[in-house]
Amino acid sequence: MSRLRSAGVNLVHLWPVAFLLICWDVWVLVNGYTSTVAPRPWFVIQDVLAGFADYVPSISYTLGMALGGLIGGTLIGFVGAILVWWSAALSGIVTPTALIIRSVPITALIPIIARIVGYGDPAVLASTTLICFFPAFVFTLSGLAAIPEAGRDLFSVLGANKAQVLGRLGVLYALPNLMVSVRITAPSAVLAAMLAEFLMGTNGLGALFSESRSYMDMERAWGTAVVATVVSVLVFVGAQVAERRVDARLT
Amino acid sequence: MSTIATLPAIAADPTEPATRTAVSVIGADKIFTLGRGKKLQALAEVDLEIAEGEFVAIIGPSGCGKSTVLRLAAGLDEPTNGRVEIFGAEPRQLARQHRLGVAFQEHALLPWASVRSNIALPFKVAGRPVDDARVDGLIDLVGLTGFEKARPKQLSGGMRQRVSIARALALSPDLLLLDEPFGALDAVTRRRMNAELARIWGEEKITTILVTHDVDEALILADRVIVMTGRPGHVRTVKTVDFPRPRDAEITRSSEFHALVDELTCLLDASDGAAA
Amino acid sequence: MNTAPRTSVKVAYAIAGGALLIVLTQLIGTFELAGRAWPPLADVLSYVLTPTGAGLLVRNSLVTFTSAAQGFALGSAVAVLGAALALVVPMFRPGLDRFAAILHAVPTIALAPLLITTVGREDAPAVIAALSVGFVMFVTMASGFANTGSAQHDLFTVFGSNRARRLVRLELPRAVPAFFDGLALGAPAAVLGATIGEWFGAPMGLGLVIVSAMQNYQMSLLWAAALAATAMSLLAYLIFVQLQRIAMRRFT
Repeated sequence: MSRLRSAGVNLVHLWPVAFLLICWDVWVLVNGYTSTVAPRPWFVIQDVLAGFADYVPSISYTLGMALGGLIGGTLIGFVGAILVWWSAALSGIVTPTALIIRSVPITALIPIIARIVGYGDPAVLASTTLICFFPAFVFTLSGLAAIPEAGRDLFSVLGANKAQVLGRLGVLYALPNLMVSVRITAPSAVLAAMLAEFLMGTNGLGALFSESRSYMDMERAWGTAVVATVVSVLVFVGAQVAERRVDARLT
Repeated sequence: MSTIATLPAIAADPTEPATRTAVSVIGADKIFTLGRGKKLQALAEVDLEIAEGEFVAIIGPSGCGKSTVLRLAAGLDEPTNGRVEIFGAEPRQLARQHRLGVAFQEHALLPWASVRSNIALPFKVAGRPVDDARVDGLIDLVGLTGFEKARPKQLSGGMRQRVSIARALALSPDLLLLDEPFGALDAVTRRRMNAELARIWGEEKITTILVTHDVDEALILADRVIVMTGRPGHVRTVKTVDFPRPRDAEITRSSEFHALVDELTCLLDASDGAAA
Repeated sequence: MNTAPRTSVKVAYAIAGGALLIVLTQLIGTFELAGRAWPPLADVLSYVLTPTGAGLLVRNSLVTFTSAAQGFALGSAVAVLGAALALVVPMFRPGLDRFAAILHAVPTIALAPLLITTVGREDAPAVIAALSVGFVMFVTMASGFANTGSAQHDLFTVFGSNRARRLVRLELPRAVPAFFDGLALGAPAAVLGATIGEWFGAPMGLGLVIVSAMQNYQMSLLWAAALAATAMSLLAYLIFVQLQRIAMRRFT
């Protein structure tokens, strides 16, 4: 019973979404837009539900690219940060550089990647991986730098070598930080995948979006936008849950 | 309990003269560079000699460099001048051989590990197989039976400190270093922990240096109390404490005990005044 | 134990890192390690220094900067008001918190069709920038307001303070660091939002230059425009981080 009630409360707390849908509808009606300009929300939702089979390949492609990049980029960033941590000079040199590259806008990064790697799946995956790599790298390094002094002293007194400090202390202190990076980059990975797909028009939600726009199929275009939002929110919520789990286990 | 009793007693060998030196600090200075050419002298010419099997407490006001002495003994810092020897070798040598035990005010427990694996950590770091009987014995010794699987955040402050002390004892170290291990606890828990530490020490008789600012704690536990004063830190007085052990409530309520507390407290106050 | 390296050492490392990055970029270009799409950095810079290149970049950077700045101002203002509203009217709170999480995850590209119909192609960049900034700002401000410790809260209640006074005296000052956090995070988001908006048919701007240079295989121009966008984003970020540090000194 209490589970049912908490589900109900959760639904009630989604009121801003409902409010937004109503505003959308009123806005379309008041302006008297035809469905080629701006479709009403109910028709968009209907298109998504009725034609869901048409959306599935695009959803799975975008989701795969986003998750692949999220996991791959995060892992590479984590391992890279650990390797660099080994040398104070190296991490001192690499960290500011990583910060610079982190602030390259995705919109500037994707076209360059598309030209270097060539149009297609590798370019999409490379984009999402790169987007997730730099935050993971920076967050892991700052996690490794934040090992408490007392912990470091303890390991020093116990006669631990550097590998033991890393394996038994550093990695586990860096993991919560890494999960923060996953949560932050999760929506960016979806956005990067969609922008890359939109630009190259090969596959996925981004391509579906640009395609339906050029055929003036506005219900499909807006439906893609809605679906993309839902996918991104789900990835984000998933990352949030994973972060909480890791935090509960490690702290 | 039986597992503890069968362990080799470290300082109980009757053929060894009781005067064998465990720790010697000879003319140690410590100067920290603060940047922009500023320097802070934390220690000036500290001389200390601690015999094997002795329990020595270092007391002093905060900032008198008492923790620095402990860090020198642990090999965490090196003296600017002078030298520190533990059993005739460099302190780091001892750490490398995994013969040091340490407990800090911040318990420094691994938050993701259970009580059991926190206590077993020194075995793992030393690359030795975990002696389960020893770990169980220690858990029993510090009164945490039933909490083996608990994680630090599920424990009270006093329990965490017990885990940290059990961890310090895990490898039966040759030297135990305690830096305000009960500093963050309330007064009642603190006294109870003092009594427990006295009992544990009575069983293991490990050479121990305890840093504290609590005069009662020092007198309950130590064979000798070293009073330090600050800016720069140096040894002001050394007091031998020869109350019989165990020092129970009867002793701590005695007038002799109170007289000694007053005497040492006066010394601390005087040094505070001098420093201010 | 060895302490953290001193500032001078850190600066030296950072400079070495920057130099290394420049040299690597140049070498990869010279030896065509990444193909012809990665020109030597010197070529990009010499293109930037030609009158045509410089003119093109400056004009388009200004357009993007204007959109980003407008969006930045509008987005932060609305987001702060929204977060404050959620604070004053507690009934709104759980819903708006959840809404903030959703907004945070909305891929900005999904908003493009909505915006092109409503505000038109020319204003879409500024509005997308405003939305990107607004999301970031709303999320940070909501958590900043939520951060007020209950002890202080109780103190104000004991003093018989009303809600408005508590907002002004306690919750707003407490949220100031979060506000500056939001600005620092929002600045790059504004540049990104503006360039995304420009992808959807804006007449001018760095985002447009980037896409058309890519399609026409003008690699020096593509890289120069990408560098300009990066510089804008990085500079805005660094300026607001500096402001944030000053604010932190005052309010914590």
